[in-house]
Amino acid sequence: MLCEKCHKNTATTHIKTVINGVVTEKNLCGFCAAAEGYSQFANNSFASMLASMFGNELATGTIKETRCSCCGTAFSDIAETGKMGCSECYATFKDRLLPYLRRLHGTTEHTGKRLNSVGAGLVAVSEESKIEQLRTQLLEAIKAEEFEKAAVLRDEIKSLEEGEQK
Amino acid sequence: MSQWYKELGAEGDVTVSTRVRIARNIKGLPFPSRINKEQLKAVNDEVKNALDCAVSEGFEKLNVIDMNSISDEEACAMVERHIISPDFAANRKDKILIISSDESVSIMVCEEDHIRIQVIKSGLALDEAYATADRIDDILSNHITFAYDDQFGYLTQCPTNLGTGLRASLMLHLPIIEGNGALASIAETVSKFGLTIRGMYGEGTKSSASLYQLSNQITLGISEKNALENLQSIAMQIIAKEREDRALANKILLEDSVMRAYGTLKYQLILSSEEFMQHISKIKLGCALGVIDIDPTLPTKLLVECQPYMLQKTYGIMTPDDRDICRAKLVREQLE
Repeated sequence: MLCEKCHKNTATTHIKTVINGVVTEKNLCGFCAAAEGYSQFANNSFASMLASMFGNELATGTIKETRCSCCGTAFSDIAETGKMGCSECYATFKDRLLPYLRRLHGTTEHTGKRLNSVGAGLVAVSEESKIEQLRTQLLEAIKAEEFEKAAVLRDEIKSLEEGEQK
Repeated sequence: MSQWYKELGAEGDVTVSTRVRIARNIKGLPFPSRINKEQLKAVNDEVKNALDCAVSEGFEKLNVIDMNSISDEEACAMVERHIISPDFAANRKDKILIISSDESVSIMVCEEDHIRIQVIKSGLALDEAYATADRIDDILSNHITFAYDDQFGYLTQCPTNLGTGLRASLMLHLPIIEGNGALASIAETVSKFGLTIRGMYGEGTKSSASLYQLSNQITLGISEKNALENLQSIAMQIIAKEREDRALANKILLEDSVMRAYGTLKYQLILSSEEFMQHISKIKLGCALGVIDIDPTLPTKLLVECQPYMLQKTYGIMTPDDRDICRAKLVREQLE
């Protein structure tokens, strides 16, 4: 369905209003919805969430359109579709993506299987992140009642976590 | 080994199947929705080469299917067997599918991501399915440079898959939980654990035959091992609840509904897809509870084989009316 205002973008915001029993419906894209003041309605999909969150800034032109040097995707494209253009987009738009990744996954740090980039023949190895390892050690130290060691580990985890947030 | 739907796996009274998929992309190429024809060919070639190299190193040979050679009917039948996604069936032009002879391993090339490794097994078999998918990932990564970032992990077209790129899902048969109206509260609870529960064919589809897919949502900041353990432990609780509710349900009412469905399916001449799905769910339940004595693998086998395109694959292309007659006949014969 196309936005009923601009007739260009896909309608991602659907508003149903009931006033004195009279039902009116509006189907707008993120930008037009923002222009009409509906940007606070975050929808259930990541795409529409991004579109509604960025709608305001993009519509008013306060964000200068940066494009990915590799594939030419603009952030507004990502906001509209929920899809990145290429793997480089993650680096290009990193700062703007971080808050959304945090909302989506609760974190911004990969802790699963790692791709070991030694030489040309890539070998994948599974390894837990340093923080996860330290947490396991911390639990072991507490179990063994080695509280001094536990305190050191706790501080180390704390400083790593703070570094991650910066 | 036969296809997943022809066997009864672990926890098979409630768990129909296990699916694990890993999303990977090739470094230096745009993601599939921005890819051009030459780049698409480059991805196809790179995956084929990697697998050829793997075969020379002793890995099982997988079949390469040119999706241009696949008819609409056959593509839809693949969706019904859960080998490919509806999206891949609809946008399959110039794409390839890599598949094992028992169809348990399928690799969709240039679906939402460049590479989607899928492993499907009967019953609850998360560890086994993941081990296979992980091995294929290792093999491919020996020959392909994947898009990867130290902070974000494996880079995917949609940030919802970022990190591990792992989506594991279990298809559960939950007729009693559904009948008790407890699904909404379960859906709310599982979402707190980073899981989601939805209809049979995934995103945006309705459930039929009381079949639900339970899968992980979070892919970043959780290891594959933890994600699988989390899914398994929540699934086991839902399975236990379904079993408990089955035991607590009014026995005679439950048996009556099973026998009625059994009777209907045994003595009908025209069977629509909707009616079939409704009754086969009861048959599956009755079979799990020992109310009716039939081959325990039969309900799931019929469930897949009676889907519209699967019927046409077996019996030839026909009108929807003829299909309902054909479905009726197949079900009658199988239940004899």
